[in-house]
Amino acid sequence: MTTVEDVFGALADPTRLKLLDLIAQHGTATATMLADELPISRQGIVQHLTVLADVGLVAGRRSGRERRFQVRAEALDDAAAWMADRALRWDVRLATIKELAERQ
Amino acid sequence: MSEDRIEREIEIAAPIGRVWEVLTEPAYVGTWFGVGVPNDIDLRPEGIMVLDHGIYGKYLTRFVTVSPPHLLSYRWAAAYPDVVADDSNSTLVEFTLTATATGTALRVVESGFASVTIPAGREERAGIESHTDGWVRVLDRIADLVAGKVVPPLPTST
Repeated sequence: MTTVEDVFGALADPTRLKLLDLIAQHGTATATMLADELPISRQGIVQHLTVLADVGLVAGRRSGRERRFQVRAEALDDAAAWMADRALRWDVRLATIKELAERQ
Repeated sequence: MSEDRIEREIEIAAPIGRVWEVLTEPAYVGTWFGVGVPNDIDLRPEGIMVLDHGIYGKYLTRFVTVSPPHLLSYRWAAAYPDVVADDSNSTLVEFTLTATATGTALRVVESGFASVTIPAGREERAGIESHTDGWVRVLDRIADLVAGKVVPPLPTST
């Protein structure tokens, strides 16, 4: 079960952010393509892609001898919805604080 | 979306000292940030405030700044009930109180979401704080790219 915290954790790495950005830019990308653009081994790229795939930020599809990866918007939407929900909870708390402070 | 912080503000028609009481006194905190019962609050830097969230558990938040009546901040490990909040498992909640002509402006900022699940002791090449800007910026880009918008390429740096 992936939590939004897992998604944030996966995002909290500059290399993975760069990978996500590159994949989004290309539409789809393989580890070999990505290794050509970054100073990291293909094996290192595969490890990062696995982390991103585990939390649903990318999805891979077999294509010939390699997997082609694509960014999945759903995980990004979940993260955004979670932040919005958290903000709403603060609005409710602040409104309660206001009510308590103004009641004498 | 994709901000690493939540920022909210409200205007309150009460003096600043009164708002500080509501933010720090057990009976009040238990009401707006608990299940209605007064909670344990050790109001000093490094002191622990217990937030009882009923079936979700008890949260051991840790004060960072206690500067009445203007600034109050604590770390809150919302994903880790019964664990004392530290720098690796929690977000930072900061309240800023400002006296206004009509009462008090109360602002809350909760920040540090991107670093919550970084396990303690993990060696990053740089502190996660330095990546936060990148996290926010790149996530926005990715959302735009996924939505089919045209965005200029990122400068390549390592």
